[in-house]
Amino acid sequence: MKKCMIVLLILSPILTGCWDKRELNELGITLAIGIDKVEDEYQVTAQVVVPSEIPTKTSTGRSPVILFQEKGETVNEALRKITKTSPRKIYPGHLRMLVLGEDLAKEGIAKSLDLLSRDWELRSDFFVAIAKDMTAAEVLNVRTTIENIPANNMFNSLQTSEHYWAATNGIKLDELIASLTSDGTEAVLTGILVTGDQEIGSTKQEVESINPPVRIVYDELAVFKKDKLVGWLTERESRGYNGIVNEVQKSVTAISCPEEGKATIEIIQADSKVKGKINKGMPEVDINIKVKGNVGEVECQINLNDLDTIVELEKITEKQMEETINMSIETLQKQYKSDIFGFGEAIHRSNPKEWKKMKEQWDEEFPKLKANVKVDVKLVHTGTEGNSFLEKIEVK
Amino acid sequence: MGFFRKKSNSKMHSNSISTSQMMKTNLANELKTNLQENLQRIRDSLGKSSDIIIREIRVGKEETIKAGIIYTDGLTDTISLQNFILETLMLDVEGTELQKKLSPEQNLISILKDFAMTVGEIRELTNFEELLTGLLSGDTIILIDGYAQGLIISNRHWVERGVTEASAQVVVRGPREGFSENLRVNTALVRRRLKDPDLWMESKIIGKRTKTNVAMMYIKGIANDKIVKEVRLRLDKIDIDGILESGNIEELIQDAPYSPFPTIFNTERPDVVAAALLEGRIAILVDGTPFVLVVPALFVQFFQSSEDYYQRADIASLIRLLRFFAFSIAMLAPALFIAVTTFNHAMLPTGLLISLAAQREGAPFPAFVEAIIMEVTFEILREAGLRMPRTIGSAISIVGAFVIGTAAVEAGIISAAMVIVVSITAISSFVSPTYNLAISGRMLRFGFMALAASFGLLGITIGLIALLLHLCSLRSFGVPYMSSIAPFNLSDQKDTFILLPIWKMFTRPRLISQQNIVRQQDSASAKPQPPKNEGG
Repeated sequence: MKKCMIVLLILSPILTGCWDKRELNELGITLAIGIDKVEDEYQVTAQVVVPSEIPTKTSTGRSPVILFQEKGETVNEALRKITKTSPRKIYPGHLRMLVLGEDLAKEGIAKSLDLLSRDWELRSDFFVAIAKDMTAAEVLNVRTTIENIPANNMFNSLQTSEHYWAATNGIKLDELIASLTSDGTEAVLTGILVTGDQEIGSTKQEVESINPPVRIVYDELAVFKKDKLVGWLTERESRGYNGIVNEVQKSVTAISCPEEGKATIEIIQADSKVKGKINKGMPEVDINIKVKGNVGEVECQINLNDLDTIVELEKITEKQMEETINMSIETLQKQYKSDIFGFGEAIHRSNPKEWKKMKEQWDEEFPKLKANVKVDVKLVHTGTEGNSFLEKIEVK
Repeated sequence: MGFFRKKSNSKMHSNSISTSQMMKTNLANELKTNLQENLQRIRDSLGKSSDIIIREIRVGKEETIKAGIIYTDGLTDTISLQNFILETLMLDVEGTELQKKLSPEQNLISILKDFAMTVGEIRELTNFEELLTGLLSGDTIILIDGYAQGLIISNRHWVERGVTEASAQVVVRGPREGFSENLRVNTALVRRRLKDPDLWMESKIIGKRTKTNVAMMYIKGIANDKIVKEVRLRLDKIDIDGILESGNIEELIQDAPYSPFPTIFNTERPDVVAAALLEGRIAILVDGTPFVLVVPALFVQFFQSSEDYYQRADIASLIRLLRFFAFSIAMLAPALFIAVTTFNHAMLPTGLLISLAAQREGAPFPAFVEAIIMEVTFEILREAGLRMPRTIGSAISIVGAFVIGTAAVEAGIISAAMVIVVSITAISSFVSPTYNLAISGRMLRFGFMALAASFGLLGITIGLIALLLHLCSLRSFGVPYMSSIAPFNLSDQKDTFILLPIWKMFTRPRLISQQNIVRQQDSASAKPQPPKNEGG
């Protein structure tokens, strides 16, 4: 008996025929997928890496990626159809970017996302973006230079910008699905678009020029209601949104000096707390934001050595930020009627009983909601300079 | 299996016949009184071998006493034979008191033994068997006509390698000398380090034909009596015609003969043996080899180099962690590489995946086959480098490095990443301070590669679990092989993965020496402290 077991154990690795083994050169490594809706069908575009073009010491100038495009009734069907043209099966395990066409977004994105969250090969850590005013296929059809794989270029650019600039927000698939399924929160997605002559974008000319004529640019945030695109925020509204949902890591903000001229405050830390409550039967939210910042740039005549000036600058910053935030709340309440801030969730957390009652009418309640915004700014450093040298030269 | 068993049974049967035959001849083993008869018998039983010298002389008053001197040329110190035995008997004795005593009326044997022989070790013998063993070990035999007794004089001396630097276990800091092939020299090397009356030594002769001297050393009172008894028992059970190296003994007494892991430690360094004895272990020294066995052996022991204890504890700890890490690399690196590149692609960072994929473009073989080719090539090179004469050895490594490193990649047979993996694996396998554990890692590597090629990371995980179960089931002379980790012992952790300074180690390993645990009595004063009011 024991001998039989041993023989079986030894045979089992040999006889399995290597199960679902796939060598690296059998993979069509797909770093970006675009989904569009074309005449009731999904059009899936896959940006697949051409490995032999990647690490060569001498550049051949050939494209490091190739696009495959197929249409199908479902996303999965379209993806599988790609094998008709591609020698290697699409391997989406390392997907960095999912771009959804604006037309698709207006019709609703939820159905197209199911495969991507279901397939075991996919990790859910890729960014999702909406192609603004264009199809996803057009966005994927641009070559880039610093990162020669366009998908990496998009991914890194969004990651950096999200970190250092308050108006962009990289949303990953799991975050998107969480906000799509949540009762008290609506989804937002970052917008992406291509500027310039798109004919050139995919050609060699694009990467040969020092000033490429075509660029991929992240735009402001797209607002969703349920899973449908309802509109776009402006840059300022996007900043306000990110401030509320605590997505600001580092940023800069320009303010007006007490008298004239401009100054820049560099935000090094921002911490936002949203608390929901019911006041006299009406929902209300308190938004408290604590900001730590540096004086990043001074283009006016102020005395930074004086503590009062700093306090004054703090006040100006606070006021300006509060305005920004109030403005974005107002836009969402009046224009889009979509609770992307998660105020409903905040009320749910603080008062589940009341929330149960107003859950059904939240769409009507949200525009009437009162938001008390309080920003508290602390300026901690003024950089390596005290007063600006502008003081010493006569400004003509 | 049944086939083998049958065969070994029949072997044992024939062995028992031969022993019973020997028993019969034993009865007629007593020496005869007639010198010529005895000498003839020696000639007959040794087949007139040319290195056996039989010298007949006449000594004593009026040269009436016939004596025979027998020795093995090459194993006996001929200078001392001439100076202290032949000269004493034949020349110096002229006209002295002794000559009068040397008359047939006296008991010549005891007179010779007590008065005449100016040599250190001498004893009487009556048995033919003993005579032959002594003769072939290099002793000089004196037989006298008319006596059924003889004298056996120990003046062994042969050409041998002296005490040289240990070559298999090299240290930067620490004693340089290593054991030699001579058992006496080896025991002396240990004795010189441990001048303890409790250091006891038991000698055994193992091997029916080689009659190899084997010594068992332990410190009475520290070594566990049960383990001492067990070692004695296992050594006594050995019934074989020849022991040529301590490896033979190791195979005959080890706990798990089919396990890839060694359950007996070996060393060629006297300081390691001394340290092991102090921990309560038992050393088995075998004549004819510089490798001394140490039992019981634990898994962690194979990662401990003697140098660890001579260096500062901080660097020793880091290096020891490095050894554990290197061992896992040597065992797992190619398997992990195969698994992540053929099954679990999602484990790799995106940049690495693309770069690896680029290297694999146009590679004709699957990763597993690539790895096997490279590993086997490397093992061939290693073996060739070992067996070749030293002077050609370097040529092998140059050719090997060139063939593996560049040509295979340039020819497009092997991907460059695989060369890196195989190289780091090879280097890691040399880190182990003990050769025999590195071998287990080397063998298991291929098993893990096969598992990885068929099941990916899942296979490796299952393999690791099986390996861990196996390791935990092992015992070395009753002591759990993984002990201090499983079963866990907190105070032994001072010398397991990391090493604490020597003034923190108050106790011996728990499960090895169970009766005498304490090393340093006063734990508070062990820590070195400068006097407080100094330098003020």
